Formats: sequence, C-alpha cells, structure tokens
Amino acid sequence: MLEALALTKRYNDVTALNALTLTVAPGDVFCLLGANGAGKTTTINLFLNFIAPTSGTAKVNGLDVTKEPLETKRYLAYIPEMVMLYKNLTGLENLEYFAALAGKPDLSRDALIGYFREVGLAVDAADRRVGTYSKGMRQKVGIAIALAKGAKALLLDEPTSGLDPKASNEFSDLLRRLSGSGVAVLMATHDLFRAKESGTRVGIMKHGTLVAQHTTDEFGHTDLERVYLEHMRD
Amino acid sequence: MILRIARKELLDLSRDGRFRVLSALVLIVSVVSLAAGWKTYTDLAAQHRTAQLATRDQWLNQPKKNPHSAAHYGVYAFKPASQMAMVDTGIDPYVGVAVWLEAHKQNEMKYRPAQDRTAVQRFGSMNGAEVLQVLVPLFIVLMAFSAFAGEREQGTLRQLLSVGARPHDLALGKALGVASALGAVLLPATALSVVALTLSTSEGLLADDPWRVVTIGTVYLTYFAVVTALALWVSAWASSARLALVVLLTAWFASAIVAPRVVSDLAAWLHPTPSAVEFQKALEADLNNEKDMKERLDRRRDDLLKHYNVASVDALPIAFSGVSLQEGEEHGNEVFDKHFGALFGRYERQNRVFQWSALVAPTLAVRGLSMGFSGTDFGQHRHFVTAAESYRRDIQRTLNGDIAKHQQAGQVYMAGRELWDQVPAFSYEPPTAGWVVGQYAIALAVLGAWLAAAVVLMMRAASTALVD
Repeated sequence: MLEALALTKRYNDVTALNALTLTVAPGDVFCLLGANGAGKTTTINLFLNFIAPTSGTAKVNGLDVTKEPLETKRYLAYIPEMVMLYKNLTGLENLEYFAALAGKPDLSRDALIGYFREVGLAVDAADRRVGTYSKGMRQKVGIAIALAKGAKALLLDEPTSGLDPKASNEFSDLLRRLSGSGVAVLMATHDLFRAKESGTRVGIMKHGTLVAQHTTDEFGHTDLERVYLEHMRD
Repeated sequence: MILRIARKELLDLSRDGRFRVLSALVLIVSVVSLAAGWKTYTDLAAQHRTAQLATRDQWLNQPKKNPHSAAHYGVYAFKPASQMAMVDTGIDPYVGVAVWLEAHKQNEMKYRPAQDRTAVQRFGSMNGAEVLQVLVPLFIVLMAFSAFAGEREQGTLRQLLSVGARPHDLALGKALGVASALGAVLLPATALSVVALTLSTSEGLLADDPWRVVTIGTVYLTYFAVVTALALWVSAWASSARLALVVLLTAWFASAIVAPRVVSDLAAWLHPTPSAVEFQKALEADLNNEKDMKERLDRRRDDLLKHYNVASVDALPIAFSGVSLQEGEEHGNEVFDKHFGALFGRYERQNRVFQWSALVAPTLAVRGLSMGFSGTDFGQHRHFVTAAESYRRDIQRTLNGDIAKHQQAGQVYMAGRELWDQVPAFSYEPPTAGWVVGQYAIALAVLGAWLAAAVVLMMRAASTALVD
C-alpha cells in the first residue's frame, strides 16, 4: 500500500533522507524509530507530497504521489503529533467538514456520531467546540476522520507524544483495530514501548538512512531498546 | 465542494466575536451613510422642483419690458438630482447644481454645498461611495488575511491538504465565504437602499435609467471580487498571518487613501488648469477684443446691406440693434467655446490620467466609474453645462431676433407674455448608462484586467501554497 523506492530528499548540502526503500503492506504497522532529525517526518511529508523528493519515488496504492497528488490522498489519512482542528467549530462539525473534503460529503449525523463512538469519544462532546477538547480527544477526532474517509493507509507522526498512558493505550488499541481491518500504518515515533506493543515491524533511522528493519515479534521490549541504542552509538 | 468550504468559512467567521462586532459597525456606517445620501437627495430633488417651477413662473410673469432687459433678467437652469447620487455625490457638492443664464455671459455653476460646509465637515461627510470604496475593502482585508496564512499557522492547512482538498476549491470556497459574509452585511443595506430609492421619487424605483443601477452594482461587485482575490493571494503566499495583514493593510492604505490624492496631483501636474482668476482674465481679454467685435459687426452689416440691396442700416427692413446684439452674443459664444472648451478639455485629459492610473490601484478605476454611473462626474457636469449653455443661446437668439423684427427707430420696444411663451422651459435629459460606459471604457477595461489578474494570482498562489 505504501512504497518508497530509493526515496531521497536533500536540502542544499544536508541529506534529510537517503535512498529510503520500504514497503508497508495492508495490515502492517511499520514504526519508524530514530532521533530527532533522522528523517522520519521528512518521509511522511514526502508521502503526503507536502515536499518534493530530490530523487526516488513514493507510491500509495501503486501511484506516484507527485504525479497523482489528489488521487493518492484519497487513500491516506494523516495524524500529526497534534491533530489540528477548527476551534470555533464543534467536534462533529470538524469531522463532517474534513470528511466532506475527503470525498464523503453526504454522511448523516447518525453516521458521524457512529464514528465518534467508534473512536471512543463521548457523544456529548460531539456538539462542543473543539477549543475545549484535550489533546487525546483531538487525536481521536483525527482517527474518526480516517475512519469516515475509509483510508487505506495511515501516516502518523508522533501521534502519542504527550498523551497520558491511558489515552496512549486507547490510541494503540484503535491502531490495532485499524490494521486488523487491513489498513497499512506508517508511524514515526520515539516511544519504543508503543512501537513494540502496536507495531508489526520497526525500522531504525539515523541521519536520513534506514539502518535496520526488524519484525517486532523477534524480540521483547528490552531487546528492542538495546538494538536501538546500539544503532544510535556513533 | 466549493460551497461546502464557503459554508464552513462563514460558520467559522460568524462564531468569531471580532467579526460580529466588525460587521455590526460596517452595517451601521452603511445605513447611516445611506440615510445621509437619501436625505441629501430628497432635499435636493425637492429644492430642484420648487426652484425650477419658480424660475419658470418668474420668467413667464415678468412685466412688459424690452427683450434685452428680459435677457439680462435671465433664468436659472437646475441640474436634476440623479437618484444614484444617493450612493455617490461625486463632484456635485464642489461644482454646484444651478447656473444662471443671462445675456452676454456663460456663467459658472452656483450653489455648491461644499461652500456652506465647515472644514470639519469635509472629513466627516458620510458618502456611500466612501463606505464602499474605503471601508468595505478594509472589512474584506480583515476577513481574508488569515484565510490561508492563519490556517497554515494553526496547522489546519496541513490537515486540509492531507485529506485531499483541492487547492483551487479551497481558494474559490474561501473567496465565496468572504463574499457571503460581506453579503450578510451589505444585503440589508442594499435592501434599505432599494426601499429608499423607491420612496425617494413619485415615479418609484428606477425612475433613473435602470442600467445605471445595474452597472454601478456590477462595478462594485467586481471591485469587491478583486479585493477578495488579492487578499487571498497575499494570504496564500505570506509566511505568516501577521505578514499578510501588514502587507494588505499597507496596500489598502496606499490604494484607498494615498493613491487618489497622489493621482489627483499627478493629473493636475500633467494637465494643469488655470486658476479661476487667470481664466477669468484671459476670457475677458478675448471678450473685450474690440477689433474682433468691430470686424464681425462690419461683415454682418455689409452682408445685410447687400442682401436687402439698401445703402444704410436705417433702410433695412429689420432693426439693426437686434442684429448687433446677436452679433455680440455670437462673438461671446466663440470666446466661451474656446476658453471653456480648452478648460474642459484639460479636465477630461485629467480624467483619462485617472482612468489609466487604475493600472496601479483598482480603487482608482472604481472612483471614476462610481461617479460616472451616479451621474455626478465631470463628464456629466459638462454635459449639463453644455445643454444649459445651448438653452441660453437659444433664448438670446429668440429675444434678439424679436428685437430685430419689432424694434422701431426712436422708440423703446416692449415685449410681453407672447414672447416669454416662445421661450420653452428648460428640460434636460441626462445621458444614458451606455454613454457613461463609452466615457469610461479605459477604466472598465482596467478593472476587468484586475479581476482576471487577481483570480489567476489567487489560484496560482493557492496551488503552490506551502503547508508550513
């Protein structure tokens, strides 16, 4: 579903991403690990076509994102560290608006409330303005948008950083359910524990290069941390 | 999709307290200016009716007198108040609305409301055109500056583009959102003005050329579209909402406040007009040119003597005093045509400078067009002055002809009501909207070009807008 082929991004002399090649199949949860500036966010921005690659290609469902920028976004949902919504609009209005722009303009109120329930948001929050929402609630609205849209691939950029353990755990459950239903997930994260818990594969990035790939069932949590730290050593 | 985006923009705006306060203010100012315009118009129209009847009545009921005395007695011609002057009073307060038509002289217009104003009023005069040309663009800027730049700062632009929203749809949707918000404020004001227009005359709505209403409406809507598209363009490329606001406010100040004054000075510098004193002096020098006058009279006398085959003017079957008076008029008319023609020509060249200067700021095109379609610009002032002057010349010709016909040597000829009746009442037909279009072809073309350019700029900036 998500495919990077020798994907490279350079800013002048700095190589932000160096010949990244990876594939995320439906049902996979691929966690990108690495220090700040390792190229995780750059990878996600390239898949969203928010920045143009210097060389190589990013493909979504087999389509080059630079050639089919709108078509490829139909399959994608994006959840950043903080899902940004319109604070003057209610949660439901935000969900309806983003779903409409994503190509689902005719969802009924019941259907929208259904997505609200599905992601574990209280129904009485639906008609409250988003200005009053906690971060965890916003992230859930982000997932609800992905559900309403029927996204086939999820791009997550540190989605759980700053969430309390309970909210973080709920978020991981949602991810597992999504991947269980055949969604491909690419998640950039610092959270080794979350990566081990909800990921099916992990990739370790360093200075723009993917230095290692493992499946998460290869090792326990402490092993993952050891492997990670070994790679981080210069 | 565009409608969906527009609806969200409107909803978002309507929940913003700042927007609500702002729109209430704009609405109040529009209504107040409209009320002021309506009051001015109805007062003027009533005065016009009364004064026109009075001057006609005085003319017809003047006692028996020599026609030349009647010519000096004179009549007033009043420029009919155009309904659209409620929106834009144009130059009327400065050039006046009435002219005294008498023997020997092409007078300048009188009764300039501006003369009765204090210096303070000059700044405080509430004119619908000021609201539409200055305040509304500011309102648009305040609504639109953050459309893209603000969403970029908030991070919602990322979210929007990530779900696959088309940048072109976003731009058009946001433009439509601003337009609806503006409509919510201006529609009540427009509805009120329709009521005001209907109540203002016994003929009801559109007693004036209805095309004037259509054209002035189109001009202002086009202008608002240009401002909206330019504001969205700036918002799309500016790196922050703050920068977008600074750029747009600067542009607003430069084009709505500074440019009209600068261009006025530029036009006056390119095509200088003489001061009133200089003009009067040059005019009088030509009028008092005895040589010209004498030659003309001699020519006319010789022609007449030859025509009637007589030896002296006393033997002519007509009174030469009447002929001589008319020759004096003809001489004056040539001089007036030369001097007023040159002066008016300069004003019209200044007007063309104004129209071309709209390439720099669309406001400049709208200023002219608004006055033009309101019937209060220089072109229509001149149109009226020309009609009034032609009426004056007809009066003089009729009166002098009567003298030539009836004056007997050695007695004072007295004319009465029959002669007064031969002079028709002054009736003035203002030019049509089509005539105004012809006068402002340059400004219309420039405004159209602005619209095309602004939309292209907005669309291009939207599709290349960076997400952060």
